[in-house]
Amino acid sequence: MHSDTSYLDNVDRHVTVGVGELATATYPEILTTQALGSCIGIALWDPSRQAGGMAHVMLPSSEDTRMVGKMDRFATHAVPALIALLEAEGSSHRRLVAKIAGGAAMFKGDSMLAGIGSRNIDEVHRQLHLAGVLLRAEDTGGDHARTIELHLDTGILVVRSYQYGIRDI
Amino acid sequence: MRIEDLTAMQLDALREVGSIGAGHAATALSQLVDHRIDLEVPQLELLPIGSVPDVFGGPETLVGAVYDRMLGDLGGGLLFVAPRDSSLALVDLMRNRPVGTAKSFGTEEEAMITHVASILAASYVASIARLADLNILPAKPSFALDMAGAILEVVTAEIGMRAENALLLRTRFFSEETTVDAYMFFLPDPDSLDVLLGRLGVV
Repeated sequence: MHSDTSYLDNVDRHVTVGVGELATATYPEILTTQALGSCIGIALWDPSRQAGGMAHVMLPSSEDTRMVGKMDRFATHAVPALIALLEAEGSSHRRLVAKIAGGAAMFKGDSMLAGIGSRNIDEVHRQLHLAGVLLRAEDTGGDHARTIELHLDTGILVVRSYQYGIRDI
Repeated sequence: MRIEDLTAMQLDALREVGSIGAGHAATALSQLVDHRIDLEVPQLELLPIGSVPDVFGGPETLVGAVYDRMLGDLGGGLLFVAPRDSSLALVDLMRNRPVGTAKSFGTEEEAMITHVASILAASYVASIARLADLNILPAKPSFALDMAGAILEVVTAEIGMRAENALLLRTRFFSEETTVDAYMFFLPDPDSLDVLLGRLGVV
């Protein structure tokens, strides 16, 4: 059923996006990021170029606005930065299709931690809306970790988790 | 204070805090499971937050984890992490059955691990509280069984707002006779680190 999207067959084509990082790629490459808990994986796909980008954001926004250094772990920074990167490569934001996954509450018993996931979801929604990028699908919330892969020929986002197995969105 | 600016003396003091906390926790665990549990010298590492998910040999490693938030004079928390098989081995030791009996996680196994971890956390913070003359209580523990990378986000979520590096104080507990291999992370928030170092007299 998932023979063409099975994980182990195409590891050599993977472009892995680390925590707090972002990257772009073109088919036949596959963009992937692992173990999203309260973090959110943002996948942007440009069908006309069979290309796309992915970000792994940890937090909605920085507490300290004067902070310098790497800012790609914040949704307020990563979403516009990823769109700008794709536009520089020749995509138009009007053609981009967004799919997102993550924003879980890994320790649902702890209310302070549980809030981070949902705040991340809200901020990513807001940033995509501000940028005028269509959010086509999402697999967010819950209390389980997810790993995602964006296939750049079809735009399918494969979401894997220990709890629910493999799901395509 | 920025954790990058901690002096050698302050780092030594934190390592000592880790040894004392983990020493008491190991004793409590040995008594609880009626098996000898050893501990390694606590490791104190300064890591970029992006590489924290890799400390368990890959972000997707399946681990059992219990998070205990600290209340009182110190904020932050304690995180107990054990690979899935070690978590199940601990359950078997608690029930006084041969290791390998518990095959999967149900409500009962989850409750048992949460119980063990919260006793460990309580003895860890009690010894630190005595040492630094602070009032600290662990809050209600919370359990998760999932990918290590996602679990370890609790380490970086609060730190990540303000800093790019995380100070990780972890101790490995293990048993020679059985396959128990567990870790305890002591994770005070950045403000609490100042409080703790101040109380220990190494400002």
